[in-house]
Amino acid sequence: MRKDSLIYTVTFSFSITFILVLILALASSFTSKKVEQNKRIAVARAYLLAGGIEIDESSDIQKLFTGTFKKESPGTEPLRADIDGNKLIVSPFSGQGLWGTITGVIALDSTFSRIIGVEITSHSETPGLGGRIDEPWFKDQFKGESIEEGIRVVQSGGMGDTDPDNGILDGITGATRTSESMQNIINKQVGLLREGHYE
Amino acid sequence: MNKSLLKENLWDNNPVFVQILGICSTLAVTNNLTNTFIMTLSVIFVAALTNVTVSLMKEYIPRKVRMIVQTLIISFFVIIVDILLRAYLPDISKALGPYVGLIITNCIIMGRAEAFAQSNTPWPSFLDGVTSGLGYMWVLMVLAFFRELLGFGTLFGFQVLGSGFTPWTIMVMAPSAFFLLGGLIWAVKTIMTMNELRQCACNDSTTKK
Repeated sequence: MRKDSLIYTVTFSFSITFILVLILALASSFTSKKVEQNKRIAVARAYLLAGGIEIDESSDIQKLFTGTFKKESPGTEPLRADIDGNKLIVSPFSGQGLWGTITGVIALDSTFSRIIGVEITSHSETPGLGGRIDEPWFKDQFKGESIEEGIRVVQSGGMGDTDPDNGILDGITGATRTSESMQNIINKQVGLLREGHYE
Repeated sequence: MNKSLLKENLWDNNPVFVQILGICSTLAVTNNLTNTFIMTLSVIFVAALTNVTVSLMKEYIPRKVRMIVQTLIISFFVIIVDILLRAYLPDISKALGPYVGLIITNCIIMGRAEAFAQSNTPWPSFLDGVTSGLGYMWVLMVLAFFRELLGFGTLFGFQVLGSGFTPWTIMVMAPSAFFLLGGLIWAVKTIMTMNELRQCACNDSTTKK
């Protein structure tokens, strides 16, 4: 058959696509269990971190999670827990960021007056700019932050706001829209929890 | 042959500052050394394997659909990288986000497949892919070094400059990559011209003798 003929071209294109896609499908299904497990552990870890539980490399995330939240795996409902004698409520949240959905976990004290911690589980913000919402200096600002009047993300030094009583957080330099999104998502979630939306 | 390929792709014909390819990712990912390293490592992997595959199949690829088949092969390897990262290095996969997928549009890989692998045997093509990737890597790492150092005061995430250091916001944003890349190209071209002049001068003096 001539290499330039239509039939050869079509047959070749079809078979090469078929073979490559087949390999990809196999690779994807072989690793899907592992990917699922990674995801589950990442979310469970976020719940624990948001609740203020220290974990290190050797911690058994699954065991810690079950022990703290009395549940096998995290779902869509807020969970209540008793950590170091403090009653708190840990809830997943999600909302629109600049490029896509930002999902994470937020922990509040049982009187809804302060944030215990915030963790990000997935986002598609610009790496190095909005993607920095996942960096410790940004997330640490939420710890103990007063939410009597909601939080406000403002433009300042880009080094993090250290005063937990003012409800003000330092936004990310070069990622104003992502910072605003975080402010709105958190405030909305706090509102929903306070109104007992999930009870 | 192999040595000249290395010098060619790392310096004389560097994909970034001589061929001005792959600029989009140069601007985007270079404000952080760790991300830059993983990203460029993935580019090396994809460039090498794409080159080998294209070289092996070059006799069978119909000319009319040659570019589209190359793109297909590139996408194949990029998705493989994505799957591997997601399964075995979930943290890095998360940090890189959409940039892994964007390797598909990296002009260097397509350029080497079309310019080199189409007309060479698998082993040189493999080396060409690796060295082109290395040429891309070192330039991006140099840019990332300055951008991370001045933009955050850190290197590979470790605080290097003291707390008294005021980060240069501009270094975190894409425009700074333009300035730095421009400066780098300027410096490199100056060195290249000087080398050429010196060589000319040497040749002149030898011929006169």
